[in-house]
Amino acid sequence: MGVAVDVTGLVKVYNGKTRALDGVDLKVEAGKVFALLGPNGAGKTTLMRILTTQLRPTAGVAYVFGLDVVREGSKIRRLISYVPQEMSVWTDVSGYENLLVYAKIFGIPSAERRKTIDEALAGMGLAEVANSLVRTYSGGMVRRLEVACAMLIKPKIMFLDEPTIGLDPSAKKVVWEKLTLFKKEYGVTVFFNTHYMDEADLYSDEIAIINRGKIVTLGTAVELKHSLGGEVILFSLEGNGVGDELIEKVKASVLAKEVMVSNSELSVLVDEAETALPHIIEILRSTGVSTGKISITKPTLDDVFLKYAGTRLETSGRISEVTRMRDMIRRG
Amino acid sequence: MKDAIRNMFVMIELELRRLRHDRTELYFRAVQPILWIVVFGPVMSSVRAIPTGGIPYTDFITPGVMIQSTTFLCIFYGLMMVWERDSGILKKLLVTPASRYATVIGRSMASGIRAIFQALIIVPVALLIGVRFVPDVGYFALAMVIIFFSSGGFAAISIFVASFMKTRERFMGIGQAIIMPLFFASNALYPVEMMPDALKYFSAVNPMSYVVDAVRGLLITGNLSGLLIDVLAIAVFDAVMFIIASVSFRKIIE
Repeated sequence: MGVAVDVTGLVKVYNGKTRALDGVDLKVEAGKVFALLGPNGAGKTTLMRILTTQLRPTAGVAYVFGLDVVREGSKIRRLISYVPQEMSVWTDVSGYENLLVYAKIFGIPSAERRKTIDEALAGMGLAEVANSLVRTYSGGMVRRLEVACAMLIKPKIMFLDEPTIGLDPSAKKVVWEKLTLFKKEYGVTVFFNTHYMDEADLYSDEIAIINRGKIVTLGTAVELKHSLGGEVILFSLEGNGVGDELIEKVKASVLAKEVMVSNSELSVLVDEAETALPHIIEILRSTGVSTGKISITKPTLDDVFLKYAGTRLETSGRISEVTRMRDMIRRG
Repeated sequence: MKDAIRNMFVMIELELRRLRHDRTELYFRAVQPILWIVVFGPVMSSVRAIPTGGIPYTDFITPGVMIQSTTFLCIFYGLMMVWERDSGILKKLLVTPASRYATVIGRSMASGIRAIFQALIIVPVALLIGVRFVPDVGYFALAMVIIFFSSGGFAAISIFVASFMKTRERFMGIGQAIIMPLFFASNALYPVEMMPDALKYFSAVNPMSYVVDAVRGLLITGNLSGLLIDVLAIAVFDAVMFIIASVSFRKIIE
């Protein structure tokens, strides 16, 4: 297996001030499903747009299957396909016609066109609505049409920017089922951006967490969670926040591996929750911090994220915004 | 270049397919030019204030309002490409094997197909109110070809202008701001000779004047003495606008 994506020291500065990427190093093996997980504004889309040759990096180098994104862009564009985060189909023609236009742009020979398009539509479960106007599709169907479009050329690598943003869980599942089947059949590498923890957890072979333009950690979902080890005790806090002093105290007393605060929640990572819990409660009481609900869980990717990025993936506002945008575009 | 031509044909096909599904936009856009020739033309011609070289005033302005409406359409077509930046269509087109120049030129030229349909809608109305066209199919076809090729340049103007804009809300106003000066400082409604000197100079570099002159010659007067210069001017205009639009396109992407 070769290397699909190879990035070293990648920097992108917009308008001389906004530093979207701040020295990204990354290697993705061919044939893998790779998830780039991070909050909004972390640089996910910028990285993807550089890899798909839309933007030039300010510094650093990036290769896709050994081809330089700056100097060999047109060669790369023959190997890849891309689904942007925003809606990328024409709504005033049918699903079939959308794919037909792209099939022609990609230069698929006319003898194979019909078959290729029908296969892609069937593969995404859209055969029945192929001749309906895209305007009448649901959000999930539009997304599947976009993925079908990306499948037309049987790419070596597919770049998907937030492939299931704004979809309900069942539509999300269908998109991924179809993607997984396609990947099995053609061995295509999948590189996707997401801020959905569960999506990265369930469907990727490898995850990189990106925050503020830097890759903060990389590994399989299991590795990342194991890297935290033990158990997480989560206290929901009432009233005043917690000071650094308290955090240090907790750390010292129960040999907590990690103490993290986000919003009104205190997460303490320990080897064994049962023995540690009474000690922590004692400390909290003595410092006058009152707690509400207490829960004990195995570390999740969210905890991994919290540890490496120092914040939780709070994104609901942004999701509804994108959904609204997609709806607006669909209605025209 | 091959890519640009292929892209152009694919985009033309897309436009034809769109028009097959929904032509309302063309009908609504036809209202304004029809008012010009049905109301403005007859009223002004009764004044007899404008020397048109012996042809009825309504006949004189018919090519002018035709080109005004096709130009309007092309300007908005170009702006639409920028609107597609907000959606993902433009991004996806940029990740196809064709070069971005091919994308810009191909899409711009596709506006021509809409323009032709727009021009054709006006013809029966003009005929109804008695505008006399040169009875020659070859001339008519050539006029349509000229409308088609000039359209790409106008669409490219708006790509260039739109590259300075960040929000969609400004599009409507900008569209008007481009089109109206081109229209009033051209020979669409009155001969250039009537204009003050400053406007005459502007008219000499106004691409719309050349398009109107060529189409008027072919459709109404049958006088083709200026045709060669008109065609050359349109070719230069297209080439220059394509280069400028392709360069400014970078800004739109980022």
